[in-house]
Amino acid sequence: MHIRGISTFNSGEPLYVIDGVPISGAANANGGTALNANNGANSPSPLALLNPNDIESLDILKDASAAAIYGNRAANGVIIITTKKGRSGTARINYDGYAGFQQPQKYLKLMDLTQYASLQNSLADAYGVGRRGEFADPSLLGKGTDWQRAIFRTAYQQSHQLSISGGKEGLTYYLSGGYYDQDGIAIGSNFKRYSFRSNVDAQVNNWFKVGLTVSGSKSSENIIYSDNGGIIYNALLQAPDIAVYNADGTFAGPPNTPDAVGGILNPVQQATSISNILNRNNLNGNLYADIRFIKDLTLRTEIGGDFGFSNNNIFTPSYSYGRFTNPTATLREQQNTNSYYNYKEYLTYTHTFAQKHNLTALLGYELSSSRWGYTQQSISGFLTNSLGDNIPTENLGTSTTAVIDERKSAPHNLESEFARAIYTFNNRYSLTATLRTDVSSNFAPGHQRGYFPSFAASWRLSDEDFFKPIKSVADNVKIRLGYGQLGNEGIPPYSFGSQLNPTITGLGTGFLVARIPNADLTWQHQIEYNAGIDFSLFNYRIEGSFDYFQRKASKFLFQLPLPAYVVGGPDYLGGIASPFINSGGITNTGFDITLNTRNIVSKDFKWSSTLIFSRYKNRVTSLANGLQQLVQSVTNGFLSLPITRTTVGGPLGEFYGYKVKGVFKSDEQLRSAPVQFGYPVSNDPNLGNKRTWLGDVQYEDLNGDNVIDAKDQTSLGSPQPNFTYGFTNNFSYKAFDLSVFLQGSQGGQILNLLDRTLGGLANLYQNQYASQANFWSPANPNSNLPAPRAGTDNANLQISDRFIHSASYLRIQNVSIGYNFPVGLIKRIKLARLRVYASGQNLYTFTKYNGYDPEIGLQNQNPLLANVDIGRYPSARTITFGINAQF
Amino acid sequence: MKRHIKYIAGLAVMTFITATSCKKEFFNKAPEDAITLDNFYQTAEQVQSSTNGLYNNVWFSWNNKASWAITEIAGGNARTYSSDVVAFGNFSVTGDNTEISNAWTSMFTVIAQSNALINNLPLKVPASVPSATVNNALGEARFMRATAYFYLVRLFGPVPIIENSLDYVNNFQINTNTVVDIYKFIENDLKFAEANCTSMIRSGSSVAQGHVSSGSATAMLSKVYLYEQKYAEARASAEKVINSGEFKLYGADIAGKTYNDLFVTANNNNEESVAALQWAAGAPYGHGNSLQASFAVNSIITGTGDGYSVIGPTIDLQQAYEPGDLRKHGTIMLAGDKYPELNQAAGGFTVPADVNAQNTKAGIKKYVTGTPADNGGKGAAQSAGNNTYIMRYADVLLIEAEAVLAGAATTSNPAALNAFNKVRARAGLNPLPAITKNNIYHERRIEFAIEGDYWFDLGRLDGFNVASHPLAAAIIGNQERGTYSNDTPPVVYTQKIPISASGFLFPYPTTEVAANPKLNEAPVPYTFK
Repeated sequence: MHIRGISTFNSGEPLYVIDGVPISGAANANGGTALNANNGANSPSPLALLNPNDIESLDILKDASAAAIYGNRAANGVIIITTKKGRSGTARINYDGYAGFQQPQKYLKLMDLTQYASLQNSLADAYGVGRRGEFADPSLLGKGTDWQRAIFRTAYQQSHQLSISGGKEGLTYYLSGGYYDQDGIAIGSNFKRYSFRSNVDAQVNNWFKVGLTVSGSKSSENIIYSDNGGIIYNALLQAPDIAVYNADGTFAGPPNTPDAVGGILNPVQQATSISNILNRNNLNGNLYADIRFIKDLTLRTEIGGDFGFSNNNIFTPSYSYGRFTNPTATLREQQNTNSYYNYKEYLTYTHTFAQKHNLTALLGYELSSSRWGYTQQSISGFLTNSLGDNIPTENLGTSTTAVIDERKSAPHNLESEFARAIYTFNNRYSLTATLRTDVSSNFAPGHQRGYFPSFAASWRLSDEDFFKPIKSVADNVKIRLGYGQLGNEGIPPYSFGSQLNPTITGLGTGFLVARIPNADLTWQHQIEYNAGIDFSLFNYRIEGSFDYFQRKASKFLFQLPLPAYVVGGPDYLGGIASPFINSGGITNTGFDITLNTRNIVSKDFKWSSTLIFSRYKNRVTSLANGLQQLVQSVTNGFLSLPITRTTVGGPLGEFYGYKVKGVFKSDEQLRSAPVQFGYPVSNDPNLGNKRTWLGDVQYEDLNGDNVIDAKDQTSLGSPQPNFTYGFTNNFSYKAFDLSVFLQGSQGGQILNLLDRTLGGLANLYQNQYASQANFWSPANPNSNLPAPRAGTDNANLQISDRFIHSASYLRIQNVSIGYNFPVGLIKRIKLARLRVYASGQNLYTFTKYNGYDPEIGLQNQNPLLANVDIGRYPSARTITFGINAQF
Repeated sequence: MKRHIKYIAGLAVMTFITATSCKKEFFNKAPEDAITLDNFYQTAEQVQSSTNGLYNNVWFSWNNKASWAITEIAGGNARTYSSDVVAFGNFSVTGDNTEISNAWTSMFTVIAQSNALINNLPLKVPASVPSATVNNALGEARFMRATAYFYLVRLFGPVPIIENSLDYVNNFQINTNTVVDIYKFIENDLKFAEANCTSMIRSGSSVAQGHVSSGSATAMLSKVYLYEQKYAEARASAEKVINSGEFKLYGADIAGKTYNDLFVTANNNNEESVAALQWAAGAPYGHGNSLQASFAVNSIITGTGDGYSVIGPTIDLQQAYEPGDLRKHGTIMLAGDKYPELNQAAGGFTVPADVNAQNTKAGIKKYVTGTPADNGGKGAAQSAGNNTYIMRYADVLLIEAEAVLAGAATTSNPAALNAFNKVRARAGLNPLPAITKNNIYHERRIEFAIEGDYWFDLGRLDGFNVASHPLAAAIIGNQERGTYSNDTPPVVYTQKIPISASGFLFPYPTTEVAANPKLNEAPVPYTFK
């Protein structure tokens, strides 16, 4: 989730504050990283542990002045989640439950067996290997295996929650317990959560109030291989001539022949045999005490904490099928702990002088500390593969094969002091000033403190005398101006220093330098200007707000990407990590519009709408040390490819590459075209792919020098959207209610790297998009799709506008219809309220995008790699049926 | 009193804040799972172990695939269908290829970490640590830096010379340096290592012999001189090594051992080992030897699920062996061959009749070490514990022969013949009465097949730092890189692939050129410090 565009080169995730306890959304921040069977890391969302039924309200703080209280980590916006509290009065018991199912919203169209067989024949010719006998006449073959439908399913889910709330004699309470059980749409994946919450508040006497919020959850999930190399990727590439199972019930796979080295793992085997179980336990609590010294002066003290314990087991059994054999079962286990605590004091003074001058003054102090650590073990040599539903334990493996590891973070500590004053005159003019200062352990001594002032002013025009003539039309009009500075220190602890990391070697433990230090590292500063107007018209029938903002980040924190010849490779292979630096600037400019209208208000029929429209543009104003551009690369199909560049004056992470002119269809075209990449025009297979021939892609000679080379690369578009919008309509007729929520994004581009793997026509034993079946060949001379070539390292697969797609979409995000039973009817069964509903989420997406889902986001939370599709979990359509009952 | 409790509580809070805030230790937090630079290099033992890291994972992405993809597949000793590395076999590889990037990155990782040690030790080591210990560590680091540059200059030609990563943080867009200056830089480093590393006389196999010695540096120097065609210097260095008695030839000077025994894990850091990468069996990915994962013809051999036979020995290599050459058994697997050291639990491994890695009717043996049980119970998938040789003593002997020949047509000088025929004798072959350059190149190809050397020999065949390669191109153009059919007897599907003159150097990784387009400009002379 990103608010108002990204303004850092690090994670763009906002800060979540749940009942006063901040929880960072950034990966790793909670030590919640799970093992991934394919060497990557999962970063489960912190929100997955929260029971949504407990949420009372969710507020998004966008502008700097509002976020100033959370200043030190608020640079990407703040999402404040408040959970339900009890209210005085008779106890209420609520039951909320639903059951439903999920399905993939979309399947990609892949080649059937007939199409696949003709492609394999052409590829065999390109590779110079014999055609496979069974594919001699493709037209005789059937459809073959549909691997997508072999791994996806209709997945069921259910949720139940019981809560009781009420209060008497100064004591209010809200207690709840919940259970949630969801199967994933991919076989072998599921998620279960048990949760409880207790919110208790007590007015002890007339000057003292205390309260305690405690929530806990336990979740358990089966994670499947995802992304590149995972089961979805393999299901897309797996050949349709291979069955899921052999006749004897064992798994089938590509043959064990030398030319089948490109053959793909059986994704059904991967999903069902390999288990990856993540169990998480979380306890979150906040204790507060309010002391009222005199009528206008109060002191609030809070002590809160968030503690997590998780364990993660991956068991890979031994197996053998097709060309794949794994004789050794392996178990990997990881135990994570993370802890966060904070301590806060707020002294608040509120007084109204002479009935018109209202003053609120606040002094605050805050201290927080967080840390994480994990231990990891792997062991192999299991003599048994199956213990029923249980995963084997480490003692069942061969102890000599054990490998252990333990890691800990340096603690991340923060101390903040702030003062805020709000002066309001006659409820008409208001001024707010805030000054805060923060000290962070993420920086070296001497660079730890940052100062962040902010100001806001508002003027309620509608209360002025001159406004009276139009007061009947415009009920309430308020103008707001804001200015604020926010800091960002969101980098890993001790990033400013260098350390020696231990490394295992055959000579004993060695030590390698971890990072290039930068002792001058300090706070990133972000200045935000905001001008807005709130209004309500026609007796509050139309309410809305408009905000224009400009956010200028400077000295931003990021890890300077240095070439390998300076620092070497990735840290696990001994490279020296590039330094974190404060450098460069980004400006985000845009506006937000919110419009709430009550279109029809009659006794029986009501219709209201909410329209949210947001537009921003980001522009890089400077880069580090006079750098002209930052280039980001990905590895795809065994190739390291630069795909985005960030230049001064441009947006973050624009795609760049070649423009395609067409496909070479005639000798004339080949002869007259500029030489491409220095390759001769030739049909000699001994030149491998270093040649240009009929059926190859012709690129545009943009700089007109009559050769195609790196100088002809150009911008292929920005991943940033022009605007995003949401449109909600609520209807009610008597006891029925209907709500329809549409959401969309317009503009922006996607680089679909699956087009290279699924549309590359370069590998034997791998399936491809059905649309590629019409590839160019001497027998199909008018096709605009390039001919098959041996291996992905061929010029047809250069990053080009062939792989760029519009990211625009409009999604029917939610449609729900409900019915409230008449009170008279349900009173007889002792119910105070009973509602039944049916709801559909993510029902349909209008888009031209050819992948599963155009809403892609960032890769590894890297803002320079936005909208890069490397094969992901398709979004699911969810249908649920539920009951809300109150006793 | 009771009425004042709230004030007392308030006062207590204020006092608490004042008392606890601004404690400096609270904000000065060093990592708890690593050592800071200032806390290390304080004792002789710490300084000694500081070089351990230069022998392991920094080399991984070279050892893993790039080494054999480049030297063996391009050199014509191995063939593959595997789409990640197939382009090395037909000389169509581009700078996009991950293995090009891996080779480059691995070498510069070695250089970056060697530089860190070279620059940090003089600053951080206290006077209490003996200077010989410090100088030995500096010598090892400079040996490693020289070795990495030696690979780089042979792979890519001109590359930037980096002596301290910190110098280029703010200004990394630099030019490459000339090949001649890179060789001079390598020579300087190796001369330093020769002068400062500990002298050894090797005996048996031990971890202590895993570190390079002064003699290792002399041996490597002789090879560098040979590439530069400085025959007199090459000969002097080779003879210095030979006369020192530091190294011995397995199976010749050391009785009871064979050529094949050189590749048994228990014989890591033996008397013939001049310099080797030190893998840790069963260690996490990146720290163990992953060669057999790609080489072994099946997972019965490895016992760990890997064994992908990504390459097979070319028909050309198989036919290059002289009849009776004992090295064939230690290098390639043929149907019916027996290897008692592999899969010992089943009484040894017999190569199946249908062995057919990459349609070559054979498989790779060298660097294939068997199951964890065959290796003292240690090992895991892509993580075996056998060393990878950077240089063996047999190389020194063949360098000596070539240095004595010194570019002449033929020689029967006993210095050359003794060294040369000693290597042949171990292979069970007759001594030659006189030797030519072709004899030596042939002997080198067979002796070091699948050890990552032949491609570089082809690259220097036509001279030092030359732009045209007629002799090598002719050899490559005649290599049989095709496959065997499934018929009995098999038919050869022939594949002979020409190489262009520029094909002897590889393109820089595209990602690096994108970051610094100056890499493609003409190299500049290096300003020696």
